[in-house]
Amino acid sequence: MKAKNLSLITFEHKRDAYGFAVRPQHLQRYKEYANIYKEEEEERSDKWKDFLERQAESAELPIDGLSLEEDSSVVSGLETVISEQDDLESKTESKKSRNHNIQIWAQIRPSLAAIESMMSLHVNKKGQNPKAERDARNGDHLALIEEGKPTRGSVEEDSEEEFYDVERSDLVQDAASSDGSPRRVDHSSQLVSPELFFPWKEELECLVRGGVPMALRGELWQAFVGVRARRVENYYQDLLAAKDHDDKEELDVSPSNDSSNISNTNLKGATEKWKGQIEKDLPRTFPGHPALDEDGRNALRRLLTAYARHNPSVGYCQAMNFFAGLLLLLMPEENAFWTLMAIIDDYFDGYYSEEMIESQVDQLVFEELVHQRFPKLVNHLDYLGVQVAWVTGPWFLSIFVNMLPWESVLRVWDVLLFDGNRVMLFRSALAVMELYGPALVTTKDAGDAVTLLQSLAGSTFDSSQLVLTACMGYQAVNEAKLQELRNKHRPSVIAAMEERSRGVRAWKDSQGLACKLYSFKHDPQSILVDTNPTEGLGDVHANGEQHVSRTNNIDEFLNNMTGDGDADSVPDLKEQVVWLKVELCKLLEEKRSSILRAEELETALMEMVKQDNRRQLSARVEQLEHEVAELRQALADKQEQEHAMLQVLMRVEQEQKVTEDARLFAEQDAAAQKYAAHVLQEKYEEAMSTLAQMEKRAVMAETMLEATLQYQSGQVKALQPPSPSPRSGGNQEPMQEFPSRKVGLLSRPFGLGWRNKSPQGKTSNTEEPSDSKPNNDVVQAPSDLEKEMNGNENSEK
Amino acid sequence: MATTATKSVNAKLVLLGDVGAGKSSLVLRFVKGQFIDFQESTIGAAFFSQTIAVNDATVKFEIWDTAGQERYHSLAPMYYRGAAAAIVVYDITNPISFTRAKKWVQELQAQGNTNMIMALAGNKSDLLDARKVTAEATQTYAEENNLFFMETSAKSATNVNEIFYEIAKRLPRAQPVQNPVGMVLMDRPVERTAGASCCS
Repeated sequence: MKAKNLSLITFEHKRDAYGFAVRPQHLQRYKEYANIYKEEEEERSDKWKDFLERQAESAELPIDGLSLEEDSSVVSGLETVISEQDDLESKTESKKSRNHNIQIWAQIRPSLAAIESMMSLHVNKKGQNPKAERDARNGDHLALIEEGKPTRGSVEEDSEEEFYDVERSDLVQDAASSDGSPRRVDHSSQLVSPELFFPWKEELECLVRGGVPMALRGELWQAFVGVRARRVENYYQDLLAAKDHDDKEELDVSPSNDSSNISNTNLKGATEKWKGQIEKDLPRTFPGHPALDEDGRNALRRLLTAYARHNPSVGYCQAMNFFAGLLLLLMPEENAFWTLMAIIDDYFDGYYSEEMIESQVDQLVFEELVHQRFPKLVNHLDYLGVQVAWVTGPWFLSIFVNMLPWESVLRVWDVLLFDGNRVMLFRSALAVMELYGPALVTTKDAGDAVTLLQSLAGSTFDSSQLVLTACMGYQAVNEAKLQELRNKHRPSVIAAMEERSRGVRAWKDSQGLACKLYSFKHDPQSILVDTNPTEGLGDVHANGEQHVSRTNNIDEFLNNMTGDGDADSVPDLKEQVVWLKVELCKLLEEKRSSILRAEELETALMEMVKQDNRRQLSARVEQLEHEVAELRQALADKQEQEHAMLQVLMRVEQEQKVTEDARLFAEQDAAAQKYAAHVLQEKYEEAMSTLAQMEKRAVMAETMLEATLQYQSGQVKALQPPSPSPRSGGNQEPMQEFPSRKVGLLSRPFGLGWRNKSPQGKTSNTEEPSDSKPNNDVVQAPSDLEKEMNGNENSEK
Repeated sequence: MATTATKSVNAKLVLLGDVGAGKSSLVLRFVKGQFIDFQESTIGAAFFSQTIAVNDATVKFEIWDTAGQERYHSLAPMYYRGAAAAIVVYDITNPISFTRAKKWVQELQAQGNTNMIMALAGNKSDLLDARKVTAEATQTYAEENNLFFMETSAKSATNVNEIFYEIAKRLPRAQPVQNPVGMVLMDRPVERTAGASCCS
């Protein structure tokens, strides 16, 4: 009770409403779903209230005064607990102070009696065996325990009332309002006929699938597993007492133990082994859960130890610590013990034993189911080298505790405990596969696939969807079918186990679970099972169903033939034919599966390629790198260009310089030439002036010559009429001839000037006759002139 | 430049060892760098993956952390079959766990998978005062059995990454270069825009 109350208290943000830790990556989603859970919870509280009221009314039984408050407590339990947290806490405090023996067991509320009775019937009917078995198995210590107590059946009735009075009153007080509804007390009347007397069973099943209200869960679970029917008065206490005795024995190692302790020593041998392991696991069970304080851990220790003593063939197995912890949160210690016992001994018989055979069998069965239902997924996982059992093994072993979000775990447990078998385990696992198969198909390697499946399963917050998918979608997966499959697979597991224990080098690859599964798949017998009518309609949605059914039919036919053959012991030929046909069918089957697989792989590849952003990324990286390279190249080119340009520029500059120089030179040249031209001009002018002078002189000389000639001619005229003097005549003739010749020569270039000037000369000549001396000068002069002229010509040249 | 993507190797690694030796804690430290005083018991097995870079390659460890309890032994083969490496973990304060580790080593050797790299981890090396198994004895044992041995502490993070790195280094790099991870683009445009050649 204490634990239960605590579990309902709202905890800090990292824990959910049950006080369990929420993984940080799921916090957000949990918060999203927290409100949905709340709504669902309210809804189902109403439904259950309604159901229980109708139950009570239809019973039409005498009203029991106590029941007035009962039903309301059912419904209002949750609200009360939430609204009156402090109140409750204080109450749990007070409870703690009480004697432990009192609160260790509590009868469930009477309003659930009808359900309990029905479920107990279930237990009694098929649970009779385990009880007897248990007696036989644990005969020694049970006998001891039974010594001090009367027959079970009668005691149960009495003890119920006792415990009821003590514990119930607390809870009744917690409940606020009162609602008049009768209580069902009559147990014996229901023992007569099972389902006929419970027309509401189906409705109850629906309700259970819809979820059990938090406030009722502990008690309903007890009702489902039939705790009351299983309970043996004082059995739990005796187990614990044996433990205490053990401890004492350890302390004072007394070798002188007499007969009364024989069983205890046996017990000790068994429990001693588990003690250390239980101790190790106590703090590792929901670490940090507020309800699992010192007292909680002690209760857990007692519970696990008691169970280990109760069933030494199982003893203590990891995973039980979680179950026990969970149960302790929901119900008192002894109730938890009986519930745990029911789960481990009955529901999961053979699961947690030393060899864990049933667990392995279930995995093979599940792999086969998955293979039937999700061939594509299985093909993909095969391709990645992933075995479904790697992941689902832990799911089954932990009954999803810590594998799914808590709300989903509890919902699965609701149905599982109600069903009374492990069918829900398979259905839920199949539902998870259905929900996440499409995502799994897109994974690229084994690691990704497993990680994805794990994390997706861990975020299955939509518990209603999960349970609905499981219950509605997989109705074909029922106990009968599972049993059949289990029987089929069990021998191989046991064989492998024996082989291993025999010390034969055990796990050759060919003996692996997968390989066994494979061989079973390819065993025509298993295909025969496929066509089993129990499979029913729900199967139709499986992929490639048509192929399967067709080949199955052939196989069935052939198998029938082989069967006939065996019966009639036919000749070899026929057997051979049959064998060949079987082989042919096997081959066909293989071909079909490989075609399927090829298709599968192709689509998977397509999806991979589509989804493979890594490749895209690497492509992109390549592209970018390439671009970078190009850019670098371009940059290098640019630099090169720039360099070249620079060179060109330099060259141009140089050339410019050169041209400048050249220009300068040219200018200098030009200047020099100008100067030379100038000089030449000057020379030319000089020459011209000298020429002019010379001309003048020439004119002068001419005029002088003319004058001389005139003078000479004048003298000649004067001399001729008297007598010519011999002397002058003698000299005159040659002189006369000579100048005349000379004039002839000169007259050519200067003829005109001479003629123009002659009048002047005539006139001037006339004034010179007195002077004879100039004559000589004049005679001389032309030669000078001539010389001068020549000289000018030379210089000119 | 543009070196093609470094080689990437996937390696399945399994952790084996007695209850409470610290298998889950080692993995948690390696994968998430965390340590929790009370690690929840592992039921069946738990899976983790972590990628590390060693030299020029990346190694993606697919780690199966198995349950320690003896009866879960029957499930272990499912997990260690085909593993490239195994870490057998014991608790240096608990001789029984060392005995159990030896059994695991024996069992793994009996598999005949000579390629499997086996490491022996003496965990809880921070608890020196409580030591019951000496490093020397273990070292001798490890050498005899061709294991490599390290004392680790998930709590103080001593040698945790180291042991995984050591395993990564010992992985046969020569795993055929079969599956080319990260496709090499064949259509890389070769023609580099001919650099506008300039006047000479």
